[in-house]
Amino acid sequence: MKIKLTIFLFFIFTEASFASEVNVYTSRHYDTDENLYDLFTEETGIKVNIITAKGNALIEKIKAEDSNTSADVFITVDAGNLWKLQKEGFFQSIESTEIKSTVPKRLRGPNDEWVGLAKRSRVIFYNPDKVSSDELDNLSYENLSDSKWKGRVAIRSSNNLYNQSLVASLIAHNGIEKTEKWARGLVNNFARKPQGNDRAQIIAVANGEADIAIANSYYIGLMLSGEKGEAQKKAAMKVGLHFPNQSGRGTHINISGAGIIKHSKNKENAEKFIEFLLSKKAQTHIINNTYEYPILENVKPNKNILIFGEDFKEDSLSVTNYGKFNPEAVKLMDRVGWQ
Amino acid sequence: MLKIENVFHSYNQKEDILKGINLDVSKGEIISILGGSGSGKTSFLRILSGLERPHKGKIEIDDVLIVSENYFLPTYKRNIGLVVQEKGLFPHLNIIKNVCFGLIGSKEEQNKVAIDLLTTFKVNQYQDQYPNSLSGGEQQRVAIARALAPKPRVLLMDEPFGSLDRALRESLREETKLFLKSNRITCLMVTHDEEDALSMSDQIFLLEDGKLNTHQQL
Amino acid sequence: MFYKANILSPWTLLSLLIFCIFASPIFIVLASLFGEYSDNWIHLYKYVLGGYVYNSFLLIIGVSTISLFLGIGTAWLTSNYNFFGKNFFDWALILPLAVPPYILAYTFTGLFDSYGTANNLIREIFSLNSEYIFFPNVRNIYGAIIVFSFTLYPYIYLATRIAFINQSRSLREVGETLGFSKFGVFFKLVLPMVRPAIIGGLMLVIMETLSDFGAVEHFAIQTFTTGIFRTWYGMYDLQTAMQLSSLLLIFITFFLVLERYSRNNISYTSGSPTYGKIENKTLTGRKNILSFLFCLTPLSIGFILPISELTNWALNYKLDFFEANFIKNSFNTIYLALLAAIFCTFAALIINFSGRIQKTKFFGFLSSALALGYALPGIILAIGIMQLFIFLDNNLSFLNFVFTGSILGLLVAYVIKAYAMSNTSIESGYIRISPYMEDVAKTLRASNFKILTRIHLPLLKTSFLTSIVLVISEVIKELPATLILRPFNFDTLAVSTYIYASEERMYEAAAPAIAIVLVGLIPIYFLTKTIRSSRPGKEN
Repeated sequence: MKIKLTIFLFFIFTEASFASEVNVYTSRHYDTDENLYDLFTEETGIKVNIITAKGNALIEKIKAEDSNTSADVFITVDAGNLWKLQKEGFFQSIESTEIKSTVPKRLRGPNDEWVGLAKRSRVIFYNPDKVSSDELDNLSYENLSDSKWKGRVAIRSSNNLYNQSLVASLIAHNGIEKTEKWARGLVNNFARKPQGNDRAQIIAVANGEADIAIANSYYIGLMLSGEKGEAQKKAAMKVGLHFPNQSGRGTHINISGAGIIKHSKNKENAEKFIEFLLSKKAQTHIINNTYEYPILENVKPNKNILIFGEDFKEDSLSVTNYGKFNPEAVKLMDRVGWQ
Repeated sequence: MLKIENVFHSYNQKEDILKGINLDVSKGEIISILGGSGSGKTSFLRILSGLERPHKGKIEIDDVLIVSENYFLPTYKRNIGLVVQEKGLFPHLNIIKNVCFGLIGSKEEQNKVAIDLLTTFKVNQYQDQYPNSLSGGEQQRVAIARALAPKPRVLLMDEPFGSLDRALRESLREETKLFLKSNRITCLMVTHDEEDALSMSDQIFLLEDGKLNTHQQL
Repeated sequence: MFYKANILSPWTLLSLLIFCIFASPIFIVLASLFGEYSDNWIHLYKYVLGGYVYNSFLLIIGVSTISLFLGIGTAWLTSNYNFFGKNFFDWALILPLAVPPYILAYTFTGLFDSYGTANNLIREIFSLNSEYIFFPNVRNIYGAIIVFSFTLYPYIYLATRIAFINQSRSLREVGETLGFSKFGVFFKLVLPMVRPAIIGGLMLVIMETLSDFGAVEHFAIQTFTTGIFRTWYGMYDLQTAMQLSSLLLIFITFFLVLERYSRNNISYTSGSPTYGKIENKTLTGRKNILSFLFCLTPLSIGFILPISELTNWALNYKLDFFEANFIKNSFNTIYLALLAAIFCTFAALIINFSGRIQKTKFFGFLSSALALGYALPGIILAIGIMQLFIFLDNNLSFLNFVFTGSILGLLVAYVIKAYAMSNTSIESGYIRISPYMEDVAKTLRASNFKILTRIHLPLLKTSFLTSIVLVISEVIKELPATLILRPFNFDTLAVSTYIYASEERMYEAAAPAIAIVLVGLIPIYFLTKTIRSSRPGKEN
């Protein structure tokens, strides 16, 4: 009896396969995603199958499955992750001209293996009571190693990918040696041992534990929306947002993006899916959930992030550099004792 | 009918605890082996029942080989009954199920055999109870009944009365002896108690220094 | 020796088969040790390895000390005394098992961070402004020690309690008549007698602490595990990450061997349980209150606190989850957990039984090797499994890729991850069964199969169920391997929790996290019922 039941239970999960489907490995998940995918299925008749997991784990999965993979599209945050898979040849070039004309070159893989779906910038949050406008004027990432910021900077642990990408971009711009010197100075200026997520850094600024914090732009939108509770909303209202390096190369930009897997068995559907994600409807959906900046020009960011301005200068460095220099960045942070 | 020839045994490979045991037992005979603790008497019973293998020697029952250096008949094929010192009953089975454990055949046949034996050993009134509600003496009666139920060719007993007080001991000895004799069951008992040995047995041996010696009758 | 493992015995073959299936992913990870060593090793050695080892060591020492104190203390009180709430604590003390460490970590920061619930509450009461912070920072190694201790002590509680219940009280009384003080009896007789149970529970605690990633990552503590992930994720060096994991395994193996060696010559078989009636002593006055408080503390911190906070979050945010996905995800979770628990428990039973009837240490070795799986970080294990399955699929192509992307992979992962729990339960159960049982059964013409099903299984009932419950509670919580090995569109409760929690969206994560606990309560309920009915002096 038990055995029969077991065998029965084993097979009830063998799902009927759809005539037309697209299989998506993604490290992003939002509650309303299902509605978005349903919309896609409605428009195209293509069913969307999802596996959500950490980006790195999915990369290993794709690599291990190799030509047997069932994945068609890989979606993840941070260009570094996309670069990693691209470098090992697990993507194929996207051919759709519609996609290529929407996404600027510097937000795509070298041979269009992947494209950005939304942008975020890594910015400086400050406490207006403690940081003068003089100090803020033209403030760059590089300036943060200056000893006048001693004990005033909050930033999260170096395990975090966003920090790794930021440091990687600095290596790309300034070289390892200079960046290492900079990082040493920055670590000396820490207001506290790195801890918590980006929002925790913003909160630290709001309640006076630190004067400035480095965090991703969209977190402030999220906090202002009230989704994180009244306390965080109040904290968010106390801080200002500064876009660094405006007088120079521009503020560090990263993407969440998607690529088509080399061994995809549904390439056409995969391209349609990415085209859909870059449509006005989907873009609006994405940025209103994530408070990121849209790729599509005629879509406005959510008002909670728009209030800090949208016409800031973006660093034009190709995001592929983040992946390329990531291991160097990690080791550099180890060397300077950035926990 | 039980023939033991030159049996050697050791716990570790260093020193033998049994150094050449020889013994002939005829059918229906009750034999006692006296020995102190650590003399190897329990090992001897375990070898007979097939729970351990001697590293030398051979044993036959009814002229059929059961163990030698290159042959070993597993315990469950030997048809030998075993009664251990204490705690030998299965605690999760009631008394009648304990006795039926070694029986085959229909439920009715099994129950009949079991109840007959339980009656013989005067514990039939407990048949639906569990071992933990019986006294030590009663438990030992059940254990003997259980060992006898499958009609073993040889009954082995390891200090069967060791944990009982004097009065209980005497009556159980008498009843067991009576049953064994009237059913002509061959029995081998090991004990450290001379009185047990004297009251039960046809022959008594001493297990000393790994060898069997005939006991000097008192 | 005459008694060697009989290779041709079906039990040996079955044990070996189980071992080969479930140990190969572990060996795939270990095989990395024979691969190339990258330059990253120099970097690791020079800058960070020392810190990883130091922090992991500190963590283990702290967690072991506190969880032993909590686990043994509560087990001793509940199995020997009657005090206020004793019948409730009997089972309630297991509840923290349903709370994954990373959830407690999130709750801790949610409560005690400067903008946490606890600080806000006090500020509100005294109408103070936000500069006032009342609770110490929990985002450090001490916070992590508390988190692990209070979620993992039930492993020690469970194992020790069962051992205490089955311990013969007369021995203790003998001890007292020999002139030992109460404490003397406790430390010189009682504890040494249940040592295998304590060590078994402690090993689980240590291995889980070492393999955890979620909680230490959240507290930003650089341990061996975070180092493994940093090497993999940050330096893009999976090979070195697997070598680091292997080192972790070797380290644990060393401990296991040491422990086995130290108890090598002591027989812990305590004869069959004393099924005599035992009356617990009733405590009154101050002792009564202290006992109550002693048991309440771990329960409060490990269970009531996180659940209250989660409920608070869930109610303040939304309960959509319970309408939308609760049924489906709970079903997936329970179904997988139960299947894994049955597989895992039978695997442990078969290997332990083989060892028992063949009387060789060989099977103990198999068990220990399999139990190592628990110490592997889930995702490293998942990679081992993926590599194995893809190898199988490529070489057995007629099976048409049944392995990759089916729940089979998940099951294998769970069995490996939870074998240690089954083994601990079954092994300590076997210690309590007198070898007379199978000796007598054999003379009563019982085959090995009959001994297993008619004698051992019924006598192991409590151990068996303990194993089932431990595996279920582990599988319900298991995350990293589930994430990557599950089929498309297949979510478990832990996955739903993770999807939010990983982005620290704790309000959204609250509802599925509560669901994990609710589902985890079901097996715990059944276990307690069984343990209670297996108390000496009660029949069936």
